[in-house]
Amino acid sequence: MKLLTHNMLTSHVKGVIKGYPLIIKATEVKVNELEFNGQFVSRMIPKLEWSALIQAAGWLGQSQDLPSTLIPDYENDEEFLRKVHRILLEVEVIEGCLQCPESGREFPISKGVPNMLLNEDE
Amino acid sequence: MMQELDQAVTIGATVPTGFEHTAAEEVQEKLEATARVSKNRGRIYFDITTDKLLKVHQLKSLDNLFVVVKEYDDYQFKTTKEEVQMDWEELAAKLPWTNALAVWKLNNSIKKKKGCRKRTNPTKSDQCDLEALEVKRNQRDVSSQPENDSEEEKHSEIQNQESGVTPLKFRVTCNRAGDKHCFTSNDAARDFGGAVQEFFQWKADMTKFDVEVLLNIHNNEVVVGIALTVESLHRRNITHFGPTTLRSTLAYGMLRLCKPQVSDVIVDPMCGTGAIPLEGVMEWQNSFFLAGDNNGTAVSRSVNNIKHILKRTHDGGSSSGLPLDIVQWDLCNLPMRSSSVDIIITDMPFGKRMGSKKKNWELYPLCLREMARVCKPGTGKAVLLTQDKKCFLKALSQMEGLWRKLHTVWVNVGGLHAGVFVLKRTAVVFGPTSVDVMEPHTATGSQK
Repeated sequence: MKLLTHNMLTSHVKGVIKGYPLIIKATEVKVNELEFNGQFVSRMIPKLEWSALIQAAGWLGQSQDLPSTLIPDYENDEEFLRKVHRILLEVEVIEGCLQCPESGREFPISKGVPNMLLNEDE
Repeated sequence: MMQELDQAVTIGATVPTGFEHTAAEEVQEKLEATARVSKNRGRIYFDITTDKLLKVHQLKSLDNLFVVVKEYDDYQFKTTKEEVQMDWEELAAKLPWTNALAVWKLNNSIKKKKGCRKRTNPTKSDQCDLEALEVKRNQRDVSSQPENDSEEEKHSEIQNQESGVTPLKFRVTCNRAGDKHCFTSNDAARDFGGAVQEFFQWKADMTKFDVEVLLNIHNNEVVVGIALTVESLHRRNITHFGPTTLRSTLAYGMLRLCKPQVSDVIVDPMCGTGAIPLEGVMEWQNSFFLAGDNNGTAVSRSVNNIKHILKRTHDGGSSSGLPLDIVQWDLCNLPMRSSSVDIIITDMPFGKRMGSKKKNWELYPLCLREMARVCKPGTGKAVLLTQDKKCFLKALSQMEGLWRKLHTVWVNVGGLHAGVFVLKRTAVVFGPTSVDVMEPHTATGSQK
C-alpha cells in the first residue's frame, strides 16, 4: 500500500465520525523505485490532505524534513517534488495494519493489500 | 540477410465491436496512419509500410491482425453454387498473392523476435465471438531450452518451405454475412480452399497450418487476407484468469474513452482479476490506479497478475513499482474520502455469469450512489460496462442528477450484448436524500 492510497482511505465503521486518517502500524515496509514525473507530483499535491501525508510519512520514519504546511511555489522546487514523489509512490507498506483513530478497529495489510472489509455486526 | 525495400501494405484488424473508433484513434496516434472502419463491424483497415509491422503488433486495441491480399467493394456473386465455385477458382489464380506472402514471411520473423511465451489457457473463454478469424488452438509450450527437438524441426521445416522444398500447410477460414448468397461460409471455405490448393500445390491442414487464408464476405464486400496472428492479442496481461476476465483489448478501449490525464486518480471498485487497472497502468503511467474487490481470490489473482507484469518489464533489474494499489473492500461502502476520485471505470456484474439479476436491482443503485460520493463533482467521470442495461438505466434515473450520460458504446462480450456507459459526475453535491433516510442495507442482505 502506497501513501498516496493511504491518503484517500478512511475508516467506515458504523457511527464513526472522525475516521481519518487511519493510523499506520507497519511491520514490513519496502521502497521501490518508480520513475519521477514532476508534473504528476505537482498536480497531485492539491488533491491531497497534506497534514495526513506528513503524519503518515512520520509513522514510517520517512519524514525527510518535509514541511508540515505547503510552501508557496512548490511546483518549481524539484528537490521538494522528488521528496514528495518518494513518499507518495515509492514507500510501500507490505505488512501491518491500519487502525481507525476513533473506534480502534484494525484493518490488516498483507502482501501490500489492506483488507477493509467489515464484519456483519459492524 | 538481404535488406528489402519497405513495402506498402494494407493491414486489417479485428477489434471489440463498438470500439472501432477508439482503435482507429490509437492507430493514428502511434502509427500515424488513417484507419478506415469497415461496414462489417469489429474490423478496421489501415495502410502502412512493412517497417512498421512490429509496432502494429504492439498496439493495444487490436485483437487479430491480417494482411489484405485484395479487397472488392462490389463483388458480383453468381446465383448457383457451381458458378460461384468456378469464380473462386478463377479468383485464386489471379489474386496478387506475392506481396501479401512476403509480408506473412516477414511477420513470422517478427514473431520469432518477440519470442514465444508460455501461456496458460483460459478455463472458460469469454470469446464466443462469431469472428471465425479467431484461432481457437492452444499455444504450444516452448521450453526455456532454445533448441529442443520439435523447435528445431519446425524451424528447418519453415526454412524448407520458404525455399520451396516442402509444401506449405494452409487452411481457409471464411466469415460470411448477407442474405443474398446462394452458399454458406463452409461452402466458400471449401471451394476457395480447393482453388488455393490447386494454385499453390499447398497441403490443406485444418489444425497444423502455416498459412491461414481469410475470406471475409459481407454482402458484396469481399476481403481476402492472410492471418498475421496465431493467438489473439487480447489476453496479454492476464496470466491468472478468473471466471469472467475481461479482454485486454476491451479494457484498453474503455480506458481510452476515459482519456486519462496526468495525476488522475482512476478507481476500479470491482476489479476482479485486475484486467482494467493492469491495462491502464501499462499505458497511462502518469495516472494513479486504485483497484478493489470484495473477493479475496480475485484480489490475490490481481496481485499475481501485477507480479507477473513487474517481472516482465524489469527482468534482472531492481524491484520497481507501478502507480497502482489494490485494496480489498466492499464497493457499496467504500473506505474512501468523498470527492477524491477523478475516474471510475469498471466491469459491472452481469447477473448471468456472475451475481444475479435480482441482486443487481439492489446492487446497482447502491454502487452508483457510492461511486457518486467518491467521484469529484463537476469534473469526475465514470465508464461502466454492464449487460444488465435495463437495471442500470433505472438505477441511473433514480440518482437525483448526480450523473449525466455522455454517451454509450454497444459491445459484444462473450456473446452477450452489453453497454459501456460513459457518465459525467454533475456538480450536484452529494448529500442526504430520501433514499438515505430509509433503513440502510447492503447488497448481499446478509452483511450489515
